[in-house]
Amino acid sequence: MGFEVLLKGNNMVRLLAGLAVSLRISLVSVAISIVLGVILGILMALKNPIITVISRVYLEIVRIMPQMVLLFLVYFGTTKAMGINLEAETAAVIVFSFWGTAEMADLVRGALLNIPAIQYESSISLGLNKLQTYRYVIVPQIIRRMIPLSINLITRMIKTTSLVMMIGIVEVLKVGQQIIEANRKASPGAAFGVFLIIFLLYFIACWPISMLSRYLEKRWEN
Amino acid sequence: MNLDVIISYIPLYIEAFFLTVKIGWLGIFLALAIGLAVAFVIHFKIPFLSGISIVYIELFRNTPLLVQLFFIYFGLPKVGFTISAETCGYVGLGLLGGSYMAEAFRSGFESVPKSQTESALALGLSRKQLFWSVILPQAISQSVPGILANVIFLLKETSVFSAISLMDLMFTAKDLIGLYYDTKEALFLLVVFYIVMLLPVSIIGSFIEKKARFRTLGV
Amino acid sequence: MKKNYLKRILASALTLALGVVTLTGCGSASAKESPAEQTSSEASAQEQSDSKVYRTLDEIKESGEINIGVFSDKNPFGYVDENGEYQGYDVYFANKLGEDLGVKINFVSTEAASRVEYLETGKVDIVLANFTVTEERAEKVDFALPYMNVALGVVSPKDKVIKDLSEIKADDQVIVISGTTAETYLEKNYPDIKLQKFDTYATAKTSFENGTGVAWANDNTEVIAYAIENPGYEVGIPSLGSQDTIAPAVSKGNSTLLDWINSEIESLGKENFFHADYEATLIDTYGKDYEETLVVEGGKVADSSATEASSEASTATSSEAATDASSAE
Repeated sequence: MGFEVLLKGNNMVRLLAGLAVSLRISLVSVAISIVLGVILGILMALKNPIITVISRVYLEIVRIMPQMVLLFLVYFGTTKAMGINLEAETAAVIVFSFWGTAEMADLVRGALLNIPAIQYESSISLGLNKLQTYRYVIVPQIIRRMIPLSINLITRMIKTTSLVMMIGIVEVLKVGQQIIEANRKASPGAAFGVFLIIFLLYFIACWPISMLSRYLEKRWEN
Repeated sequence: MNLDVIISYIPLYIEAFFLTVKIGWLGIFLALAIGLAVAFVIHFKIPFLSGISIVYIELFRNTPLLVQLFFIYFGLPKVGFTISAETCGYVGLGLLGGSYMAEAFRSGFESVPKSQTESALALGLSRKQLFWSVILPQAISQSVPGILANVIFLLKETSVFSAISLMDLMFTAKDLIGLYYDTKEALFLLVVFYIVMLLPVSIIGSFIEKKARFRTLGV
Repeated sequence: MKKNYLKRILASALTLALGVVTLTGCGSASAKESPAEQTSSEASAQEQSDSKVYRTLDEIKESGEINIGVFSDKNPFGYVDENGEYQGYDVYFANKLGEDLGVKINFVSTEAASRVEYLETGKVDIVLANFTVTEERAEKVDFALPYMNVALGVVSPKDKVIKDLSEIKADDQVIVISGTTAETYLEKNYPDIKLQKFDTYATAKTSFENGTGVAWANDNTEVIAYAIENPGYEVGIPSLGSQDTIAPAVSKGNSTLLDWINSEIESLGKENFFHADYEATLIDTYGKDYEETLVVEGGKVADSSATEASSEASTATSSEAATDASSAE
C-alpha cells in the first residue's frame, strides 16, 4: 500500500516539516490580515465615496480571482512588470494577506454597521465618553464576531497553502511527491499511502481549528 | 505586451474556458445533489446514514481539493481503482462541494420553524406533502445566499485541475509560459478569462442575495 | 450565427481586458502595501540595481550563497533522498560548483515549465535542471558549455510497445511534461497526437504507471532510466528528433557567471569530472553501457562517437528498436 516509505529515513519528519511550512504561511498571513483588515474595515464603515469605490473593486477582485491565479501574478508577474524579485514564500504571504484582508475588512465593516445606533446613544446617556463607549461596548462585540471567523479563515488558509507548491515552495504535498519519486522502484504503490497520509495530516491540522471556531460562534451567538 | 501573441493565444483559452466551465458546472450540480441528500439525511436524523454523512462533511471540509484530487487520481489506481482525469475533476469537485452545499442546505432546513411542521400535520398534510410543499421550498430559498457563495468558491477551485493534467485556464496559461515564455500575455489572458467566467456569476449572486435579504427584513 | 456569437464574446473580453489592466494594477499595488515592512526592504534593494535581474559572480561570492534551480523529482538526475538531501547527476555537479566558488548552495526546486522564468526573474542564479539547449530557450537565457547528451525518447508498456509514432491511434493519449522539449517537439511536428500534460515528473510518472496514457515521451535519458527500473516497460523509440545537449543556464547577459562556469567545465574535463559524476549517480541505473553516450566531458561534444555510441546503447535496450529508430530518423 505504500505506507512503508514513510518509515524510511526522515521521510515522516520531512512531511511534518512540510506541513509546518504551510502552517507558518497561513498564520503569518492571518496575523497580517487581521491588522490590515481592521484598519480597512473601519475606513470602509466611514462611507467615504472614494474609499467605497476602491474597496468594492478590491473586494470583487478577491471574490472572483482564484488564489492560484493571484499567486502566479504576484510571483512571476511582479518581477516581469516591476522588476521586483519576491521570494516564493513572500509572494504567498502577500497573496494570502491580500485575500484575508478583504475578508476581514468586510467582516469588520459589517459588524460596525450592524451595531444599532441605540447602543451609542444609551452609552452616552449612561455617562460614558466616546472612548469608553468604544472600549467597553462596541469593540468587545466586534471582537466576538471576529474571532470565530478569523479562526475559520486560518483553516481555509491552511487548506489553500496546498497551492503554493505550484510556485515552487516545498511544502507537504511537494515533499510527498519527492518521496514517491525517490522510492518509485522500491515502493511502486507509494502514491496511495503518501497521499492518504497527507490527506489525513491536513485533516488533523484543520479539524480541531474549525471545531473551535464553530464552538465559539455558537457560544457567542447572542 | 504583444497583441499578436495575445490574439494567437485566444483560441486556446476559449477551449480551456469551455472545459473549465463544463467541469465546473458538472461538479456544482453534483455538489448540489450530494449536498441536498446529505443535508436531508442529517436533518431528519436518519440512523447510520447521518453518521456517515457527518464524517464525510468533516473530512472534505477540512482538507484541500488539491490533496483530494491527488489522492483520487494518483493514489486510488494503486489499489485498483482508476478513473479518467475529467471524471476525477468533477467527482472531486462534487465531493468537495457537496460537503459545503450540505452545510448551506442544513442551515436552510433549520431555519424552517418547528411550528410549521406541527400546523401542517394538523391541517391534514401527509409527510410527503409536508416535505415537498412546505419545508423544501423554504429551506432552499433560505440556503440561496450560501449556495451562491459556494458556487463562486467552487468555480474558483477549478484552478487546481491543472495538477491532474486537465487543460483548464490555469494550465493553459502555465503551459504557454513553459512553451513560448510570453509570461505577461499568458497571465493577462488568464485574468481576463477568469473575469469573464466569474464576474457575471458574482454580480448575479450579489443581486439575488440583496433581494433575499430585503425579503427577510421586510417580514 | 455562431461566428457572431464568438465575436461578441471576444469583444466583451477585450473591453473587460482594458478594465483588468487597471484592476490588476491597483490590485497588486495594494497587495504590495500589505505586508509592507518585510517586502519593501527586498524590493528597494532590487530596484537599486534596476534593469539587471541577475547577480554577478562577485555579488554571489560576496553574499556567500548561490541559488541553483534543480529538479527535486527527476530521479536519477535531480531528486531528494529519504534524508531530505538533494541527489543526482545535476546535483553532483551543482555541489562541485558551490565548492569551487566557496559558497553555500541554496537548492531551489523547479518544474520544467518554470525554468526559463526562474532565470528571467533572477529567482535563481543557475539552472542545473537537465536543461536541454534549444534555440528558443537560448533567446531567453544564456547556456554554458554542455555536460550531457540527450535526444527524445518514448517509453510504453511492454505488452503494447509503441515503436513508431504512427502507431498512436487518434484516441490514444501520450503523456508529456509541460515545458519540456518533448512537448515542444510533439506540438510542432505531430499536432494530431493527443497530449496529456503534467507539470511535474512525479505526477507524470505516477499517472503513466496508472495507465492513463499509451506512452510517455521525454528526454531519452529519462525514459531509458525508467524502462530499466520498471520491468514492465520498454523504450520503443529510443531516439527522436535531433541530438541535443544539456547545459547549465544563467540569466541572459550574466557573462561573469557564464564565463566562470565555462572555464570550470573545461578544467573539470581535465580531471574527467563528469565521468566520476556518472559513476557516482547514474551507474546504478544505466550500468556502464551508456557512460560514453551520455557524458560530455570538458564541454566538447564528440559528434561522431556520440551518435555511434547512441545506436550501440539502444541496441543494448532492444535490438529491433534500434533499427526502427534509425528508420524513424
